[in-house]
Amino acid sequence: MNHQDPTVLEINTARFNRMFFEECSEHLAEMERILVSLDDGEPDDEQLDAIFRAAHSIKGGAGMFGFQDMILVTHVLESLLDKMRNNEITFSPSMIDLFLEAGDVISMQLSGHRDGSEVNQEAVDLIRGKLQLVIEGGTAAVKSESAFLPAYVHQGNIVTDCNAPSADTTVHRYELTFAPDPDTFKRGVRLDNLLADLEELGMLTAHAQVSVPGDFSTFDPEGCITSWRLCLETSVGEADIREIFEFVADEDQLQVLDVTDGASATGENAEYGETAQCGLRIEEDSSAPAASADHPGTVTAGRRAYDKNGTTPAAYGRRAGDAESSIRVGVTKVDQLINQVGELVITQLMLSQTAAKLDPVLYENLHRSLLQLERNTRDLQQSVMSMRLVPIGIVFSRFPRLVRELAAKLGKQVELKTIGDMTELDKGLIEKITDPLTHLVRNCMDHGLETPDARIAAGKRPGGTITLRASQLGSRIVIDVIDDGAGLNRDKILKKAAERGIQASDSMIDEDVWHLIFSPGFSTADAITDISGRGVGMDVVLRNVQSMNGRVDISSDPGKGTRITISLPLTLAILDGLSVAVGKEKFIIPLNSIIESLQPTVENLKTVNGKHVVNIRGDYLPIIPLYELFNIDSLLKEPEKGVLILIDVDGEKAAVLVDALLDEHQVVIKSMETNYRKVDGTAGATILGDGRVALILDVNSLLQMRKQNMANS
Amino acid sequence: MQTGPENTDGNGTKNALEYLTFTLGKEEYGIDILKVQEIRGYDVVTHIANAPEFIKGVVNLRGVIVPIVDMRIKFKLGEPTYNEFTVVIIMNVLERIIGMVVDGVSDVVALNPEQFKAAPEMGSSMDTDYITGLGTLNDHMLILVDIERLMSSEEMQVMEQAN
Repeated sequence: MNHQDPTVLEINTARFNRMFFEECSEHLAEMERILVSLDDGEPDDEQLDAIFRAAHSIKGGAGMFGFQDMILVTHVLESLLDKMRNNEITFSPSMIDLFLEAGDVISMQLSGHRDGSEVNQEAVDLIRGKLQLVIEGGTAAVKSESAFLPAYVHQGNIVTDCNAPSADTTVHRYELTFAPDPDTFKRGVRLDNLLADLEELGMLTAHAQVSVPGDFSTFDPEGCITSWRLCLETSVGEADIREIFEFVADEDQLQVLDVTDGASATGENAEYGETAQCGLRIEEDSSAPAASADHPGTVTAGRRAYDKNGTTPAAYGRRAGDAESSIRVGVTKVDQLINQVGELVITQLMLSQTAAKLDPVLYENLHRSLLQLERNTRDLQQSVMSMRLVPIGIVFSRFPRLVRELAAKLGKQVELKTIGDMTELDKGLIEKITDPLTHLVRNCMDHGLETPDARIAAGKRPGGTITLRASQLGSRIVIDVIDDGAGLNRDKILKKAAERGIQASDSMIDEDVWHLIFSPGFSTADAITDISGRGVGMDVVLRNVQSMNGRVDISSDPGKGTRITISLPLTLAILDGLSVAVGKEKFIIPLNSIIESLQPTVENLKTVNGKHVVNIRGDYLPIIPLYELFNIDSLLKEPEKGVLILIDVDGEKAAVLVDALLDEHQVVIKSMETNYRKVDGTAGATILGDGRVALILDVNSLLQMRKQNMANS
Repeated sequence: MQTGPENTDGNGTKNALEYLTFTLGKEEYGIDILKVQEIRGYDVVTHIANAPEFIKGVVNLRGVIVPIVDMRIKFKLGEPTYNEFTVVIIMNVLERIIGMVVDGVSDVVALNPEQFKAAPEMGSSMDTDYITGLGTLNDHMLILVDIERLMSSEEMQVMEQAN
């Protein structure tokens, strides 16, 4: 692989790196979750795809941030998985261990980059070798797998095998628990010889534990009542150690644990072995690997501080810098918090209303406290709300580096433009949109944009442009990824679809043809590179976007470029709205669709075919009476007595008639579909300060409703 | 096994199911207690435009927007009144939360399958698929309703249909 020196591009990347670390940990955890859930059964296509995607995403991220070592491992892993997806290699249960092991190695590399802990290069090379062997061996290797794998894999730990070429260069620290059975001595076993043999291998510390039986009447003086905890620092592999015990201990009487610094497959950290005592550590071991394996990314820092309490005071100080890093919290937890705070605000309002009836002089203290409470709840609500909103610039700002590195790798000239960085998006959406966008940009660079020569030949500037544009359009947030490359090739896509057995026909319209690229396993790249071309990208994009209730549209102009549009619903976002009253009901109209509001005079109002129109500075705009559209009992039916709100939908203007304007709010949009169904003319609902539900109007569909009503009548 | 009317409280049989009974007009209904999330008073609802009459609107249930249906209107039983005694049963139906206005909640009873009979054919004009059986309870007839089937039926218009 073309190794590009990452230091050349070293900008202040700590912030982005942290993002990558978090994501990578998530992917690893996901991969492990699936692998473990397989329980030695064969993964179905879905699971295999998911594992593959996790590996692919890790590789993608590692590539973006220039962690070459991680790419190397994930690349082989991915290749193997890809072969399995294409049924070139059949699955065998031992592969699960192999994959888990690979995951551990990646996790170790990750913590190496994150915490600066030591990375055991041997383990890295070993796992790459093993994966490569399976790939190359193809079916042959699978047949001999049972003979081949167990030698390497033991208890999920990475153990340097005696055959491994570089095995004897580093010192490993093993913990051995040896509990001989009572008859050991009768079989003529000499424990002193055994220990001497061990000592020959390296530094040995031994702790004996004698279990004295309670009843001396049954005590057998010739029986062995001692068990041993041995700590061995040696350069040989586990297999050699076990060999010494071969005729002495059964499988269950001996446990060998590799606790070498950093090398322990569970991602344990460097100072582990230095301070703790051998005998002391055995208790810790049982819990530690489980904890770190669950969540290698987030747990490590905190756990170390706890585990080491007392033994390494410095651990606290060293970790202090991480305090301002983020805590990842589930979106549902935040939602719950928002709801609970909303309830609190309502309770506080009720309390204030009750207290208002009390004598202000007699209950002065109560009133003062209530004011304080009101302020506090407001602040609390604001803080909680702001937890969710993030400008999309955070996602966009990850791309310059990706584009730059990829451009160099691909030999293309690319300029990246971002528009609408400040468009605010719900945190939940931001998290989910990152992966799809990364894939899209990568695809643009790899497949979309041509090489400078090809561009010049086509009469274009040698440098291509990729534009990322975010905007809020009505009740949706739209993100465009636009390139000015070659555009999609209809014939090539159809041909590929036929090859891959994807249903398609020549008579399909362009839009349908473009959508073929979202099929799993579809790829038109001529060569598989480590950038893209494995045909997961677009399938991931579609899945992720659909999971957000979004849409992906493609428009492509041959020779001029491609535009991929991701459109997301506002469901999770917060909206600035104007609350209006119609009869007894309240509605929220999104501020961004309002031009102005006015009280019409009789002179401005006219009718066309009995329908009201209003003359605004020379334009005659149709009036949409909300009470009529929504069948609301309103005493106010004449436009001149109400308020008109001028709205603009894609250049089409209209005036909505309401009874009165109430207030301007920032509201959390809640879906009506969760428990009910979509309501015509609305984009959702929200909860007002008094605890009541108000519907949020969707002006776009209001206009359509009006047209339909007119057509029906 | 006894199936007499006095056999109301569960007699220890394992397959007895518990039902929450409530009244709509003069009729008494029962639904699977496990579908019931909570019971609360009737609150101000936000009317939903162009919804059928029996869908009263939506309320805010601790931050969740919940539709409220009035089965008295739907079944044309009794005069729908709304006062401090009006009760709403909040149910978990097919992973949705739906509120149902009833005249009153009476009891929780355990019934064995033997204790109820199949509902008679009511003629094709009325959809009675959702009635799982008729039970007898202290001389009252108890109409057992499959609430999931009822709420997901097309005529309830509570849920978006599959297409």
